[in-house]
Amino acid sequence: MRVYLEFGRKSFQKMLQYRTANLAGMATNLFFGAVRVLIFTAFYQASTAEQPLSLHQVATYVWLSQSFLMVIRMWGRPEVSDTIRDGSVAMQLTKPVDFQFYWLADEFGKSTYFLLMRALPSLLFSIFLFRIMIPADPLTWLAFLTGILLAVVLNQSYIVAAFSSTFWTLDATGVGGFCFALQTFFSGFVVPIALWPDWLQQIASRLPFEGMINFPFSIYLGEVTGVDILVGFGKQILWIAFFVCIGRWGIRRGLTKLVLQGG
Amino acid sequence: MIPHHLRLYFHFVLARIRTQTAYRTSFLLDVASNFLITALDFSMIWLIFERFGNLADWSMWQVGFLYGIISISFGLSNMVGRGFDLFQDEIRLGTFDDKLIRPYSTFYLILVHQFDLKRLGKIGQGLIFFLIANAKLSMSWSIGKVIFLLATIVGGTCFFIGLMVVGATLCFWTVQSIEFINIFTHGGNEAGNFPISIYKDWFRRLFTFVIPLAFVNYFPTLYLLDKADPHGAPAILALISPLVGIIFLTVSSQIWRFGVSHYQSTGH
Repeated sequence: MRVYLEFGRKSFQKMLQYRTANLAGMATNLFFGAVRVLIFTAFYQASTAEQPLSLHQVATYVWLSQSFLMVIRMWGRPEVSDTIRDGSVAMQLTKPVDFQFYWLADEFGKSTYFLLMRALPSLLFSIFLFRIMIPADPLTWLAFLTGILLAVVLNQSYIVAAFSSTFWTLDATGVGGFCFALQTFFSGFVVPIALWPDWLQQIASRLPFEGMINFPFSIYLGEVTGVDILVGFGKQILWIAFFVCIGRWGIRRGLTKLVLQGG
Repeated sequence: MIPHHLRLYFHFVLARIRTQTAYRTSFLLDVASNFLITALDFSMIWLIFERFGNLADWSMWQVGFLYGIISISFGLSNMVGRGFDLFQDEIRLGTFDDKLIRPYSTFYLILVHQFDLKRLGKIGQGLIFFLIANAKLSMSWSIGKVIFLLATIVGGTCFFIGLMVVGATLCFWTVQSIEFINIFTHGGNEAGNFPISIYKDWFRRLFTFVIPLAFVNYFPTLYLLDKADPHGAPAILALISPLVGIIFLTVSSQIWRFGVSHYQSTGH
């Protein structure tokens, strides 16, 4: 365990170098948030019908998802595929550590970095500048933070499994693209799932992706309460187990037929 | 002189296409995933209209029309202007020095250096949504309107390349991190998926007068769909919109020349 903490710390330190990039990234996150809130505002103002979520709730949802995007590692690209492509994976395989846990630790270091350097400042902006909702009940906060933590692990096990497919394809852009597309849509990142047509909500609730965005932020909005929260945690944990197993299986199969690239 | 430049350009483009299609499966997956990811932008339009119904006097497929035009322009600009997008590497690695001693302008050399064929995915999905919108709206086209549409797409492509050029020019001073310009390129694309008239005043003015995004698809669509701007913009704005993008690129290329004259190599 100690050794994986250390790998996480190393990856955190590596991220610390990119300060300007982080500022530019934060500005981009905030801009996209603004565009999406403005779009929702226009539609809410043009319609008189009662909606499942209020505009204030949707705006809060958008600002939260923009703030936590990088923490959850949406569209994150674990460097595992680069090491397979350039052959440096060989060096790593000589180390007495678990291949999959190494990459999960690496991603976790990045998440911690983005929590402190991206999510917290963005959240302060969202609270003071954009007046997002703030849950009063400390239990809601506890549930929300647990949900986010599980969302982070869920997404990391998903992307590490997806990018380990580089063992077969050597180039992860294609596979990664498909995985990102599924995740972006079905996580409820584009539009909160509560606003979707019923039949599509049914499909989303059977997939792992809603646990990445929609579920934790619905806790924050007070839309998921009581036992439903525990059920949601259970689903997140089951899907984590699923992706960790798939990833392990894929990596083991991949290693038996690995051809080292480069020299 | 001009034909020679053009011939050389196509020569380079062909070479880039050959390298990018060398691994066929990987290339096709790239195009397909580019298609899929960018088509997700339309899912926002679809989901919102599904939930809220029409927005003022805009129907979903009228917005789809807007969306198609900006997607094609943005896709084309990313395909052609890729060199400016990757320009920070030239500065960081010092390879820009090589370009300064060649007998062509640096602007031209950066342009010919890259060509990103996988953007066919984005262009393709934009075209598909445009054609569907076109059928749903039962548009009637005259030759004049078709020419206007093509000019609009050229103008929009020039506009986005212009933004990328400005972003690349910033690298002469910052050496890295031009991601800032993504706010206006990718962010502009995102904002332009919906009619610019729905945004708040400050936002609408910014993207009409400072960064002329509204001329990429909003004003042309008003003209082609025979709609009026709720904020009372004169109809003539539509007809000059292809020019706006071209002027924007011309100004950007002047800014670029200014940047080049301030270039200090990072050395090897």
